[in-house]
This record gives sequence, structure tokens and C-alpha cells, in this order.
Amino acid sequence: MAAKLNRRLMLAGSAGGLLTLPGKAPAQGGRKRLDGVTLNVSCWNYTYPKLLTEYIPEFEAATGAKVNYETPSFPIYNQRMDVELSTGSSAYDVVNVTFIYSGRWVGSGWVTPLEDFINDPTKTPAGWDASDFLSGATAAFKNKKGQLCAIPWIADVFMAGASRYDLIQKEGLTMPNTFAEVETMAKAIHKKGGIPAMVSENHYGWTYIPWLQGMGGNVFKAPPDDLTPTLDSPEAIAAADLFGKLIREYGPDGAVSMTYEQVLAMLKQARVNYSPNNQTFLAQMAQKEAKSAATCGFSMCPAGPAGRFPGVAAHGWGIPTGSKQKDAAWEFITWAMSKELSMRMFTEKKYTAVTRRSIIESPSFKDSQNLNGFDVAKIYLDSIEQAGRGYMAYRTVPVFPQIDREIDTAIQSIITQQKTAAEAMKTAQQNALTEIKRAGVKL
Amino acid sequence: MASARSWQAEQRRSFLLGLVPALAVLTLVTIGPVLYLTISSLTPLNPTVPGSGWDFSAPWRNYATALGEERFLLSLWVQVKLSAVTVVGQIAIGLGLALLLDTNSRFMEAIRTGFLLPMVLPPIVVAVVWKIIFTPDISPMHRLLEWAGMPIHSLLSNGDTALWAVVVADTWEWFPFTMLMMLAALQMVPKEPLEAAAIDGANRRQTFWYVRLPYIQQTLAVTALFRLIDSIKAFPLIYVLTDGGPGRATEVTNYYAFVQTFNFSYWGYGSAVATLLIAGVLLLSWIILRFGGRGMAGADHA
Repeated sequence: MAAKLNRRLMLAGSAGGLLTLPGKAPAQGGRKRLDGVTLNVSCWNYTYPKLLTEYIPEFEAATGAKVNYETPSFPIYNQRMDVELSTGSSAYDVVNVTFIYSGRWVGSGWVTPLEDFINDPTKTPAGWDASDFLSGATAAFKNKKGQLCAIPWIADVFMAGASRYDLIQKEGLTMPNTFAEVETMAKAIHKKGGIPAMVSENHYGWTYIPWLQGMGGNVFKAPPDDLTPTLDSPEAIAAADLFGKLIREYGPDGAVSMTYEQVLAMLKQARVNYSPNNQTFLAQMAQKEAKSAATCGFSMCPAGPAGRFPGVAAHGWGIPTGSKQKDAAWEFITWAMSKELSMRMFTEKKYTAVTRRSIIESPSFKDSQNLNGFDVAKIYLDSIEQAGRGYMAYRTVPVFPQIDREIDTAIQSIITQQKTAAEAMKTAQQNALTEIKRAGVKL
Repeated sequence: MASARSWQAEQRRSFLLGLVPALAVLTLVTIGPVLYLTISSLTPLNPTVPGSGWDFSAPWRNYATALGEERFLLSLWVQVKLSAVTVVGQIAIGLGLALLLDTNSRFMEAIRTGFLLPMVLPPIVVAVVWKIIFTPDISPMHRLLEWAGMPIHSLLSNGDTALWAVVVADTWEWFPFTMLMMLAALQMVPKEPLEAAAIDGANRRQTFWYVRLPYIQQTLAVTALFRLIDSIKAFPLIYVLTDGGPGRATEVTNYYAFVQTFNFSYWGYGSAVATLLIAGVLLLSWIILRFGGRGMAGADHA
């Protein structure tokens, strides 16, 4: 049904929603409400921010505001915004609150709590419905008082996909449900069809964690309260050993340094079979132009002896406390994250990492996420539900970026056999302790 | 006598006055930032911690931390290996090619121009070119070797070979510079001693060793110095090719400083590492220039 929605109607809806706010009627004499207002908006370079570029002229036309919009690369964005926010700068009005920095940015009070805007009917259109956003996605953006400080534009989940599920079936297997089944499957399908069994992108501070937690370990003792690193625990070493072995023995040549773009390209071309990875990447295996379209398969990320821990990463729009145009900034956010625009991005651009439950549960979305017979929408929702248990707390503590890097280095050393799992994880533990102390965290 | 002294004083004063604009620019552009870097290195400067830029309570803390940190010391060792091999490699290849191309013909000029290509490419393009060459999945080199029955594993993904892969890329990028410098120096060698050597029956090796080399010795030293300093700045190749990995196999000191400063916001600590790096470069420059200069002086008196 949504696919049949008239584009002009949608456009009128999303722009109209802004123009019909109580107390926000268009100014008389042809002037628009935000005439003369220039909003500086920044987000890191990713699918959604790039797609949004195409819609921003509509916001400008509807409101009269001029939007200076930039999308630098992820590290550059974070580095720049860390400085801008920490100094209380007014240079930006709307910024992305990066998941791994949310603890620092929200916790330090560098972004504005949005409750006052959300609860004010003169600032938020009726029916905008903040409660529609997935709770798993908004959790990272709440401050200690429980106030929401950013509106999530993405909730990406860690799941698993196979580009040649037919080869797995041929071995009498299904999509693996546990770590042990992954190993069995990898052994059975490696080099079958001329392709290696599995691959992982080189951001091991993200892809290794479900294995670590599945084995019963964690990054810190009890985040966010006790940040004593636990990277050399027996569980962490066992998980690193298994993960490193899988990539080393069943991965393609050069697997250790493969970026997500490389992994995605290989999966879409069916040049490697199985990969635990992000939903936004894996779903692309089912695109018509992908060689894997007719043979792909999906599942939740595998579970270890301690359970299943699918990673969930959310990024959201926030307003720096230094912004001098908070009302206009909020108007931009309500427009960008309106139901109408979210639905249009799904129907028109096939953007599926949406954060509104009403869209995820809509028949058209569910239909679109039935990929090759696999209900990916259900995998997505179930994974997000899992994150409600709070195991992602390790990722939003301010010192995590440093530890993230240490994990990357340790896993690389294990895959390339420069160190054993025990040696690498012990070194990572020592380095993590140094980094945590340097950051001024008291243990 | 008095008026002569006064004239000399006036001349000195005018000379100094004339220098003022250049000194001011030098201070502003070079000394100022280095001074700021050094001052920052004495603080725990972190943009996310207000007031940390003015905290001089433990001025040597960053230096003590760096010198006691295994990761920093390892990065220095990686840097030494990278710099030594690339500089020697570039000088050897550059000098060898310069000797081959040291004739005046249009054909040789065209070849010389062709050899300059890697040097004029933007560093990031060079890095992308080598990323393609070193990525087994899409690499023409890997396909060729496979076709020839000599398949090799990914060089960048192996802790033993990753640094040497970066060395190859860096040498390829910068050998044209050393070649150009050597060629210019060789063409400045006067004809008379070369003719005299030929009359005396010296072979090509003897002519190079006893006639040409002494003449180009100082250029050689200065070229090596330029390349040494540049090798310490080998950032784009490492950023694109290995990101300092696998593990820490290619994490040179400036990359370590970059990670500490820009990924973790430890600006004070990163400044201390950068200051140590500058001190090291200055020391090496002094050594090279001192011995290079002495060699040239010897050549002049020969």
C-alpha cells in the first residue's frame, strides 16, 4: 500500500506537516517562517545522510531556511564534532550523535535534551509520535535523567548472511545458529563452489564483540559503572581464538584487512559465502543486480554458550547546546525524521535501516524485507529487542574509542598469527588499562 | 677610523633591519607552530577536558609516558626500518637510473619524463594504486603471479611482509626525486676530470668511484636528508594501505601520534610524540649534513 502512495501527496504531507504547526503558520506576504535562517547541519558519510541530501531542497522550499549540509568521513566527522561540542561552539545547529561517542557527548551535556521540544505542540507536529522510535535505538541517547537527546536515524543490527545458501543446504545444513554450528558449516563449505567459507569486516571492535559476549565475556567488568577492562578473561581469549581461527582458516586471502566495502562487494558477487555483519550491508545481497540475489540466506547472529548478543548501533540527530537556533534546528529534525519522509526514503530509495516501528511493522516494509524467503524484518526486530537487555552499554562509554582500537589490533595479530590469542588479549588488556588511566577514568 | 666603525655599525644595523620581515615570516610560519607544539607537549591538552591546555603541573609527564610505552618504542623501531630501507632503496635506484640516463638525447629525455610520473601523482592516488596492486581479489600482480604458477598470499595482511609492501610503494613513489637530483648533480660534473680519467685508462667503475662520486657526494647527502625527513612523514600510504596494521606491524611514529591525537583526543601527548620526532629528525639532519659536508670538503681539496 505504501508503495502506491502518491509522491506528491507525500511531499505535501511532509512539508505540510511543518507548515501547519500551531503557531507556525507561514508568515504573511509570501514570507516563509525560516526566511533568513541558515542552519548548519553535519553528519558522517553514510547511506542515509547521502540520501537526505536529495530531500533537503524540499525543506528549504517549505520553510525558507537555507541548509548548509556536510557529510565528512566517519573519523573526520567525529574528530571535528568532538572539538566543536566540547568547546560549546555555535558553529553547528544539527549534528549526528555518533553511537560510540554518545556516552561522552550526551553524558557531558553537550547536546540539548529534546523533551521540551517533543512535548511542546507548538514545536512538534501532532502525530509526529516520538514513542514510535524503537526503544533499542533511543536507549543510547538518553541522559542520566532519562531525557532523550537525539532522534535515531539508523538502528543497524548485527546479523548473519550467506551469499550462497544453496551451498550450505547442499551439505545438509541450515543457517548456523550457534558458534559450534558456524565452525561445522565453515569446515563443510570452505572452497565449495570455488569460494571461501566466511569473512568479517576489519572493524573487529564491532564484529568480534558478539563472539566475546556469546562466550560469556565482556569488554569491561560492568559498564558503564566499572570500566575495568576484561579483555584477557578466559572467555575473551577463547572467543578471540575461535574468531581468529575462523577468519584465518576459512576466509579469503587478505581477509584480515578487508573493509566493509570490500566484504560487501565480495558478498554481492558471491565470491565469499557466509558473513556475520550489519543488516544494512547484508540485505544488499538480495538486490536484483547482485549475483547473490537468488541464492542468499539470512539469520540472526549466532549464539555462544552464554547466549546471543547481536550488536545494535544507533546514530541520531541532536542539537548542540551551543546552537543559537535550536527551534529551527528542531524543525529540521522533525522534518528529517517524520513518518512521511522516513516512509518516502524507504519506498523511493529502498532505505531499510529505519527506526520507526510503525514503518517496520507496515505490510509494505515486511514484504520488502522478505528476502529470498527469509523474514529479515523479523530478524531485525528480534535483534533490536535483544539489545534491550543492556549489553551494548560497553559501547557508549566515553573511553570506548580507545579500547575499540586495541581490540582491532589484538584480533589482527591473532588472525595473522603474530601472537597467540592469549598473548594478544593480554597485551590488549594492558594497553586498555593504560588508555583508561590516561583518559582519567578511576578504576 | 671612528667613522669607518660607525659606517660598519650602520651597515650591520641596516642588514639586520632588512632581515626583519623574513625573520617575522619565519617566526610566524615555522617557529611559532613548533613553539606551540612544544608548549602543548608540556600539558595534558585534551579538547574535551576544559582547562587542560593550561595545566603545567606535570610538564614532563607526556615524555615520561611516551618513553616508557612499549607501543611508542615499537613505532620508533618500525619507523627506523621503514626510513632506512626506503632511503637506501630510493638512493640506490635513483642513482642507478641517473647513471643510465646521464646522456643527452631526446629518447632519454622522454624516458626521464616517464620516470617522473610516480612523484607527481597525489600521494593518496599512489596509495590507492598500491592498494589495488596489493589486494589479492582485484590485483593484476596477484593474477599475473598466479598465472605464472607462483601465487603469493596477501602481502598487506601478513605481519612479516606488510611493512615491506609499504616500503615498495614508498620507494616507487619517491625514487624519481632521487633520480632527478642525482641526474642534475651528474650533469654538473666537469668534463676535464672525466676526460683525464679516460686518458689514464680508468674503467667505468673507477671513474664513478674516484671522479663522479666525490663530486656528487654532497648532493647525495642532501637528497638522503630530504628523503629521510619525508620518509618520517609517510602517512597517506600507511593510512590507506594498512591503517598501521596488521597488529602494529606498520605503525610508524607519526601514525601513532596521529591516532593518539585525532582518534583519542590526547593532543598534549601527541604533541610530545611529535616533539620527540622533530628532535630526532634535527639530530639526524645534523649528522648527515656534517658528514656529507666533510666529504665534499675532502673532494674539493683532492
